[in-house]
Amino acid sequence: MSREFQRGHRAKISDLTAGTDLYVGVQIGGPGLSFDISCFGLDADERLSDDRYFVFFNQPKSPEGAIQLLGEQAGDTESFRVTLNQMPAHVRKLTFTATIDGAGQMSQVGPGYLRVVAGGVEVARYAFTGSEFTTERAVMLGDLYLKDVWRFAAVGQGFDGGLEALLTNFGGEVLEEEEPAPAPAPAATPAFAPPAQQAPAQQAPAPAFAPPAGQPAPAPQSPQAPQPPAPAPNFAPPPGSTPPPGAPAAPQVHAAPTMAAPIAPPGYFSGDRTPPGGTVPPPPGPPGVPPPPGPPGVPGQHAPHGQHQPPQAPQPPAPAPAPAPNQAYPQQSYGAPAVPAQPYPGQQPAAPYGQPGQPGQQPYGHPAQPGHPAPYGAAPGTPPHGTGAPAAPGVQVAFDKYREAPTGQRWTLQNPKLVRVDLGADPQPVLARQGSMVLYQGKVDFSYKGAGFMGRIVGNATGQEMQLMRCTGRGQVFLAENSAHVHPIQLENDAICVSADAVLAFDESLHHEVRRIEGHGIPGGALFTMQFHGTGTVVVKTHGTPVVLPVTPTTFADSNAIVAWSAGAQVIISSQVRLRRHPYPGHSGEAVNLQFRGAPGNFIVVQPYEV
Amino acid sequence: MDQSLIAGHAPTPPAARMENHGSSMLKVAMQTGHDLFARTGSMVAYEGFIQYEANAPAIRQMASQWLTGEGAPVMKCSGDGLLYLADYGADVVCLQLNNESVSVNGTNLLAFDAHLQWGVERVKGMAKFAGQGLFNVVVSGTGWVALTSRGTPIVVDCGRGDDETYVDPDALVAWSTNLRMKGKRSFKASSMIGRGSGEAYQLGFSGQGFVVVQPSEDSTDRLRARG
Repeated sequence: MSREFQRGHRAKISDLTAGTDLYVGVQIGGPGLSFDISCFGLDADERLSDDRYFVFFNQPKSPEGAIQLLGEQAGDTESFRVTLNQMPAHVRKLTFTATIDGAGQMSQVGPGYLRVVAGGVEVARYAFTGSEFTTERAVMLGDLYLKDVWRFAAVGQGFDGGLEALLTNFGGEVLEEEEPAPAPAPAATPAFAPPAQQAPAQQAPAPAFAPPAGQPAPAPQSPQAPQPPAPAPNFAPPPGSTPPPGAPAAPQVHAAPTMAAPIAPPGYFSGDRTPPGGTVPPPPGPPGVPPPPGPPGVPGQHAPHGQHQPPQAPQPPAPAPAPAPNQAYPQQSYGAPAVPAQPYPGQQPAAPYGQPGQPGQQPYGHPAQPGHPAPYGAAPGTPPHGTGAPAAPGVQVAFDKYREAPTGQRWTLQNPKLVRVDLGADPQPVLARQGSMVLYQGKVDFSYKGAGFMGRIVGNATGQEMQLMRCTGRGQVFLAENSAHVHPIQLENDAICVSADAVLAFDESLHHEVRRIEGHGIPGGALFTMQFHGTGTVVVKTHGTPVVLPVTPTTFADSNAIVAWSAGAQVIISSQVRLRRHPYPGHSGEAVNLQFRGAPGNFIVVQPYEV
Repeated sequence: MDQSLIAGHAPTPPAARMENHGSSMLKVAMQTGHDLFARTGSMVAYEGFIQYEANAPAIRQMASQWLTGEGAPVMKCSGDGLLYLADYGADVVCLQLNNESVSVNGTNLLAFDAHLQWGVERVKGMAKFAGQGLFNVVVSGTGWVALTSRGTPIVVDCGRGDDETYVDPDALVAWSTNLRMKGKRSFKASSMIGRGSGEAYQLGFSGQGFVVVQPSEDSTDRLRARG
């Protein structure tokens, strides 16, 4: 399910996909142009405080591998693998940028896109064309950023200065760049695109700043200060002035007026330094009211579009100091590890995954280009969760994305539906639902687990006892059932209640007991749940992607769809009579609803499947 | 009609003989002279001129061992165009064999190029207690094969240690043919009195190679069950 994004649109990653292992592909190209596509891992202040998280051709992965450059494949000019759950805490935002290497400007770019692929399926695509740009030499295409949860935003914001301007923008150091010259004047003026022609997102500028969309923007007063079409021009600081101290130097990318409405003016967040993000701030004052401190970017650099505020660092960035033809990156400051400086064009990072055995042999290439292994070269196994890319010859290559991922941890989620438990490290047994083993390696013994007291209770009441087996020995056991999604939950002296149907496996070190929830109308007379407490891991299975809801005074769940809840939440059977007044007028009388009460912080997990 | 919400699902131009369209649909670029064997009933759509021939005599002979032999569960597809195959929402994995051979559980085979060598084998030493035996199709040569898997499969390397790899036969999808295989019964006296662990039989693999396993013990053949 691919969602089309427009400039300024954003969405939670969790709304797009349940996965955290993403493939980000960028396709961009133009006649005679070559591009450097890079990924900036920024901190909470949107600064590149750790330049090991600037992933580009000379630094193809971040230290722990959460961001990896994969190279050209599957129709993408450049591609990245981003593993969000491995991302270190200080990296709050990933900005994907494309910069022109050599001469040229973004208006010459043909149709391109930035897409996000998860689990082999494209989930988001932001398409752009050169007509959205003018003289920019760099463009921030999209962001993955953490604001409570990871989100994706289509940015599409250009920079005239090229990569150096981007680096400066993100707080990186570009050596030999100190002259505070404003950007070249001619670049700005012709760039003043009428709003009508712009992407829809731009027609919704921040109300405090811009006139209503469609109103022709006033011409810039001077090339140095191409103010956005603001009815209150007086708030604009003189060109080159420094913004108030509170204003972060970082670009307010998500608050920049290129974004979709309603967004605060760029300076809106400056005062409290709230990380810009997806929240919709309260509407700013009426048009014309001088905005809160913090000018919208610094006009030091020309804004090519009227509303195109290049979020710039306080010191007006020098126009890129004539980049060397081979794009000699700021090696000194970025210290490209291990990889010596290479002239860029032509040099692609080696495919991080195994190259196919013999890419030259294209035995069956008729729909593809025979003797043209290049597109396949790195493609096949490389996308972590396959983009459906054509495979190069060789079974191994096609299987690359399904490889086992050993981690050395006791519980490892191999893919959303398969969990691996390593019995070697800790010889403590694991209890698993009978028949849930799909594969094991090593010497593992499976034995019947007597249900004991608990089982008798459950068995007596429901006629169906919880069938468990005990896995002991040394080795790795892969557990799955009926391709249900599995979720290892690690308890550290916590407690959780899990519906007995949803338990796949757990460490025997956990204390578990059966709790019985009685109520009229529950099939079988009562609902049985297992409460786990202690330290260890419980693997819960759900049909489909579950939803985790915080417990509020009005949290209800279907007793058939409930999977788990934190043990601090109290369960109340809510009767049908009461629910009649609730917004389910047509609810048939069969399901029994559970109401949850608890202190804030408690949660419930519900699956999209009523067993 | 506003098609923007479904526009993202339009097919991409074919770049190879077989490609995934999404995770659970297979797209095959058909050309005259390059026929395809596909599971009977797996076609969900096609564009172009494609003809299907179920129960061609040659197939029947090859697949005579397959299950009860009443009609081979494969059909021969020929023609020009784009063919879309699916198996009840199972994940599809495309393999390009490069003079390799792979052994696929009959239920999990979706399609393969007609020029590949193939044969039906009965897994030796392994008789499922109930129902038919486990049949698998050995496909070898140079060309494309598509497998299905209930859920994202996992590929495990055997021969990583001295230990053998044991697989639940219901979850087994495919394996490389050079593996040694043996059935294992973890049958104990206690199993006879209704206290089994639920894992009575496994297939043990040893040697160098890979095993593909699906995260589900659902091995029912939906295409066949439909009748």
